[in-house]
Amino acid sequence: MSPSRRAPIDAGRRRAFVGLAASAAATSPLARAAEAFLPGPEPGPKSAPSRAVVAVGRRPGVLAAGGGLEPKLLADGLGAAVARAAGEQTPVLAMRRLFRPKDVVGIKVNCLGGRGVCTRPEVALQLAAWLQAAGVPAERIYVWDRTDRELLAAGYALSRSGVRVFGTNDDGWGDLVDWGPSASRFARVLAEDLTAVVSCAVLKDHYIAGASLSMKNWYGAVHNPNKLHEEGCAPFVPALSAHPLVRQKLRLNVVDGSLGQCHGGPGRVPRWAWPYSGFLASTDPVAIDRVGWQVIEARRKEAGLPPLAAENRGPRWIEAAARLGLGVADEVRIERVEV
Amino acid sequence: MERRQFLGAVAAGCGGCALARPDGLEAEPFQDPFQASRPLAAEEGGLNPVPARWNKALPNGWVECGVCPRGCKISEGERGTCGTRENRKGQLYTLVHSRPCALGLDPVEKKPFFHVLPGSLALSLATPGCNLECRCCQNWEIAQARPEQVRTMSLPPAEVVSLAKQKGAPLLACTYTEPVVFAEYVVDIAQAGRKAGLRTVVISNGYVQEQPLADMCREIAAYKVDLKGMDEGFFKRHTGGELKHVLETLRRLRRGGTWTEIVYLVIPGQNDSEAEARSLARFVRDEVGPETPVHFTRFHPSYRLQNVPSTPIATLDRCRSAAITEGLRFVYLGNVPGHPGESTYCPACGKPLIRRTGMAVLENRMKGGACPDCHRTIPGLWV
Repeated sequence: MSPSRRAPIDAGRRRAFVGLAASAAATSPLARAAEAFLPGPEPGPKSAPSRAVVAVGRRPGVLAAGGGLEPKLLADGLGAAVARAAGEQTPVLAMRRLFRPKDVVGIKVNCLGGRGVCTRPEVALQLAAWLQAAGVPAERIYVWDRTDRELLAAGYALSRSGVRVFGTNDDGWGDLVDWGPSASRFARVLAEDLTAVVSCAVLKDHYIAGASLSMKNWYGAVHNPNKLHEEGCAPFVPALSAHPLVRQKLRLNVVDGSLGQCHGGPGRVPRWAWPYSGFLASTDPVAIDRVGWQVIEARRKEAGLPPLAAENRGPRWIEAAARLGLGVADEVRIERVEV
Repeated sequence: MERRQFLGAVAAGCGGCALARPDGLEAEPFQDPFQASRPLAAEEGGLNPVPARWNKALPNGWVECGVCPRGCKISEGERGTCGTRENRKGQLYTLVHSRPCALGLDPVEKKPFFHVLPGSLALSLATPGCNLECRCCQNWEIAQARPEQVRTMSLPPAEVVSLAKQKGAPLLACTYTEPVVFAEYVVDIAQAGRKAGLRTVVISNGYVQEQPLADMCREIAAYKVDLKGMDEGFFKRHTGGELKHVLETLRRLRRGGTWTEIVYLVIPGQNDSEAEARSLARFVRDEVGPETPVHFTRFHPSYRLQNVPSTPIATLDRCRSAAITEGLRFVYLGNVPGHPGESTYCPACGKPLIRRTGMAVLENRMKGGACPDCHRTIPGLWV
């Protein structure tokens, strides 16, 4: 089924979700802040939220000596961030607030850089566990990326039962969709199966875009990411994030910063990797990318590297996304909360 | 699909959907040989990583691709804009060498080449990928895809040559997508073909750097350039590339002496003004040569230009007249079957030399590469 034919269904789901969220929003100020960004109508200045919350859960030592993640610290740091992003006390309550049991939830991970600089499997699976605790059945939770090959290289175990873990692969692309700056085939799983998505990205530098964070993660949901890098990705990242297939399904953004990379990305360059030991979470894709960019810039400064703008690769697409009404890019209007 | 099955499918495909030719041969659009094949995920993604030529190592394991003017700087695990060249541990690989996704037996007029062995068959092939993204791409399913997203088949250069000989095709054509992105394969096919007495032609957007162009031109017989427009702004909007590089390619082809023909797809409301046709003609006249064949071809809605109508014939006629007025000697129309502009006329005496309709040659009066009436030499590859 073509994405365009599904659009009315998505719109219906969105209305139901907005209604659900609105009723919950009355519960707390934090919740109201998190409500600032909700999947909304077609992008435009009027739909821009006024403020946003980005929660940062840092837990030194979460990156274990052997390269794995300490489960307790992961659950604590990531859980605190997710909970705060949704304005709830626990990550399970956050998931319950953002997702419905009948949703089919896709957790889009980024495995391009391989084991060293990817969304860690532990992070994606922890999110899946909280979703299940919130009532979403395991078989309605998909952890997915471009290919099985990249998932395997990043340490994921493919699965076709329980929580699904799989790649779009060669034959998983849908009909051509012209989305403005380019035309792409979207992953069928996104276009046809999922009702809600989590962008679960990596905290890393990108040699063209400046940074690869939550919004750029959607490059892995179209068949032709190689065609989307002109002009520092500025025309493409916002437009792709604004496409209804993404925007109307996006509920949560998470950036895995257990191990970040401040230069040389998107591939792995160990010299520029550092244990940020933290996780970012927000319902606002623009705000989380703005904060992620700040984190990368701060690390670059510590490492003696020039600002991204000095290398002519400041992520201009963040402001462009804000102009499209996708979220908040203005630091003053972003509440960055260390949890 | 095994190679034997594939080649069998080629033979079978060549038996159907025939385009009748006046000389009794048949030029057959190739039938999809992949219909019965399984997805290639189990076949290493259909990729054939071969070390790429024309690149240089950069610090931190990056590589700069030197095939096209984009000069993509590619980090570990990434690919360039074309999607066919991947950095694996600091070494750049082409993933499409010997992996065609389209194979056909076409008349050379389909390319179009009008001054290269008229009426001959060309075994034509393409691998996935392109370094531009034209809004009117006619083969976007394969040109705008990454190689693992398209079903391909192993067909090394020697097999290409033997298939062409088996089918009686004197020409090998690298076409359909963008040969520049599979330039290594082009060079290897052309070398193998030359040794077997076959000529190779390239149908390209001309978006190529100097060295790979030179290396291809050493082996091939002719190069056709799709010149998308004569306005830098339009070219950028329409293709994502820069026109100046294509113009430079045309100059290099001229300097290198490679037989060149030029196609200009006339898109209503976008690049169809008489001024642009004149600009094109003046450039060709002054910098490529007035005897260079130029084909103004008719646009039909495709890819991202579904809302633009087909080009009116009157517009094509106007472009052709303008180019002739500017001094070009061989100006053709394409995608207009039966139009007099498909035929070749002697620039000296004006008499028809090669009459064509569609992709078929109806009559060829050329004698020894010249007009039989006034003996004016007609440039091209005639024997």
